[in-house]
Amino acid sequence: MGRPSEAAGMEALHQLKSTEPPQWLAPSASLSESARAASQHLFASLRPHVRKSPFDELLVDNFDAEQIWQQIDLLTQPLVRSIRRRVKHWEKNPAEIENLLPEVADGGKKVAQGKKMEEIDDDDDDDGGDMDMDDDDDDDDEEMDVDNDGEQDGGKDEGDESEEEEEEKSGGIEDKFLKIKELQEHLEDEEARHYGLDAKNKKSKKKSGSKKLEDEDDDSEEGEEDKEEDDDEDEEVDLFAGGDDEDEEDEMGNARYEDFFGKKKGGSEPKPRFKDELGEDSSSGEEEKEEELSSDDDDDEEEDDDENVNKKPKVLSTHEKEVQKIKSEIEKMEKANLDPKTWTMQGEVTAANRPKNSALEVDLDFEHNVRPVPVITEEVTQSLEEIIKKRIIEGQFDDIKRAPGLPSKAPRELKPVDENKSNKGLAEVYEEEFVQQTDPAAAPLSFSDEQKKEASTLFKKLCLKLDALSHFHFAPKPIIEDMSIQSNVPALAMEEIAPVAVSDAAMLAPEEVFSGKGNVKAEVELTQTERKRRRAKKKRKFKAVETKKMASKKAREDELRKQKEGTLLVVQVTHLCCQINVMLNQKL
Amino acid sequence: MEIDGVAPPVAEKPLFEPLKAHEMSDGKVQFRKVSVPPHRYTPLKKAWMEIYTPVYEQMKIDIRMNLKARKVELKTRVDTPDISNLQKCADFVHAFMMGFDVIDAVALLRMDELYVDSFEIKDVKTLKGEHKSRAIGRLSGKGGKTKFSIENATKTRIVLADEKIHILGSFRNIKIARDALCSLILGAPPGKVNSKLRQVTARSAELF
Repeated sequence: MGRPSEAAGMEALHQLKSTEPPQWLAPSASLSESARAASQHLFASLRPHVRKSPFDELLVDNFDAEQIWQQIDLLTQPLVRSIRRRVKHWEKNPAEIENLLPEVADGGKKVAQGKKMEEIDDDDDDDGGDMDMDDDDDDDDEEMDVDNDGEQDGGKDEGDESEEEEEEKSGGIEDKFLKIKELQEHLEDEEARHYGLDAKNKKSKKKSGSKKLEDEDDDSEEGEEDKEEDDDEDEEVDLFAGGDDEDEEDEMGNARYEDFFGKKKGGSEPKPRFKDELGEDSSSGEEEKEEELSSDDDDDEEEDDDENVNKKPKVLSTHEKEVQKIKSEIEKMEKANLDPKTWTMQGEVTAANRPKNSALEVDLDFEHNVRPVPVITEEVTQSLEEIIKKRIIEGQFDDIKRAPGLPSKAPRELKPVDENKSNKGLAEVYEEEFVQQTDPAAAPLSFSDEQKKEASTLFKKLCLKLDALSHFHFAPKPIIEDMSIQSNVPALAMEEIAPVAVSDAAMLAPEEVFSGKGNVKAEVELTQTERKRRRAKKKRKFKAVETKKMASKKAREDELRKQKEGTLLVVQVTHLCCQINVMLNQKL
Repeated sequence: MEIDGVAPPVAEKPLFEPLKAHEMSDGKVQFRKVSVPPHRYTPLKKAWMEIYTPVYEQMKIDIRMNLKARKVELKTRVDTPDISNLQKCADFVHAFMMGFDVIDAVALLRMDELYVDSFEIKDVKTLKGEHKSRAIGRLSGKGGKTKFSIENATKTRIVLADEKIHILGSFRNIKIARDALCSLILGAPPGKVNSKLRQVTARSAELF
């Protein structure tokens, strides 16, 4: 397709502009035609500004929206970059803008218009353009507008532009709260402080830092942590001194919605504040900061007027810095020591002397004299029941057994009181008692002694029998020197209960069995004379016995006779006497 | 008598033999008379020789029975060694008359420290009629076993003569027996009395 004339292109643009928004919803061939023509026109107008570009003209015939877009993009990307560089340059050297203005005015308009067209084209595309591109276009638009407006705003505007540009460039990370530019500046400030800047600068930056903390949300990344570390250090130190805590709290406590979100219509105080700092920071510049520290001093001196008087204007060496640090810490510690201690450090603290519910926060540790209550669980009850069952089965109950009394004395010999009439007379009783007292040995055995004796004899008998049975500890019968009859029985029968063998040995010795005297000879051995002698002896014995008998008989008979005779005599005598009496009586 | 230079021979200390009972009473003879109650007459007759022998031969006291007066008369002899013999004999005979056996009463002759104590039931508690009979029954016990138990425990001899109670023994034992008997009269059960007796005798046995 041939390149349409400018007028046609302009006409197409106008047509696009004039169409009603609802008409865009439905696809129409005429609209797309006009859109293509307009984009081609714009492309052509921009082409001369770009040095090298693959396309001389925008190819739109039978090309997809994406393809057209890519062509545009290829053209505009380097162009945008160059324009940005230009703007930055102009930021630094505002004087040059004046020179440029008359030249640029027409071109700028064109460019602005072209840009607008492009923007509209992009919007027209069915698929819709990227938001980024739109944002970029918006940036460019505003930039152009600002340029067109004039130089009145000057540095501020530039600051504003730069701020806004940078603000909206990095897209997702940044928003109203998070400003990476500010973050970077803060980091640089911290570095400067660390490597030897004055306290004023630090303070201001610190405040700005804290403000940034307030403003920035949790979306922060990277540098936020570094900042926070530094701030935390400060804040930790501050915590120990209660006063500082309160100050910071006040700072935090007075935060308002406006501080975070800003007023709805235009930035009022918070923004100018940032701008002031940023303006000052930007004046120092990122590139120049590292090189020129002296310029910072000048700026810092400006800041001194605004804020409190600082102590050390000069740069300190590392050692001095360390000493200063230590000193500050010492001061803090001394202050802490002088202050009244916290309630946990005091001795006895009643509830009135400590803040409310503070004991809950402190980790108290004290001895419990009470055993903790046992938690009754299923397992505990199970175990107890098992023990009970086991005990019942065994029959082992923990019954209390009576403790056996101590054997203090030997139990008294309790004589059972005899209920019968005592056989002994009273005298004998006392006699026995007397004898026992004086001569215990000779005393006749008391009742208990007799019983004891009887018991002991019985026991000895029993032991003897048992020992004999056991064979090991056999003890022979005790020798009681009594008259006992020895029966002529085989010895084995007497001494052994379990006769193993039977022997015919007699108990008595032969000489004991033998009852005789002298030289005993059997009848066979006797000689004649001895036989005769024996017979004679026998006869004599027999005779002697006989005579004895006879004699005794005789004696008895004699006595009887004597008696008889005596009686006879007496009788005779009496008879005679009677006769005499009779005679006498007769005579008389 | 010689004077100057020669001291008169000091007379030897005279040795006097102890006075006999006879001489102590200035040659007079001492008598004791013990009346015989009618219920003891026959036992006296039966046990006369047992009484007579120790009195006459060992105590050397003349003893005779006055049948008409129903009294036992005691008289010292010339060779009576000790004047107290007569009294002992008199006590001995008197104890027999109270009702003690001869063998028990002989202890009086042999030991000095024995005494006879008598009291009546009404001294302890006034009892009448059946109560009195029951008390007497309680004192003796069944078959006399309570009495014997007291006798054996306390080494005394007791005679229960209806209302009167005589105890023969040493002073301490008499006391124990008397306490036991009194508690019985007052109504204590025999078991309790027995247990108390046992305790007391055991204690007393320990003392010696």
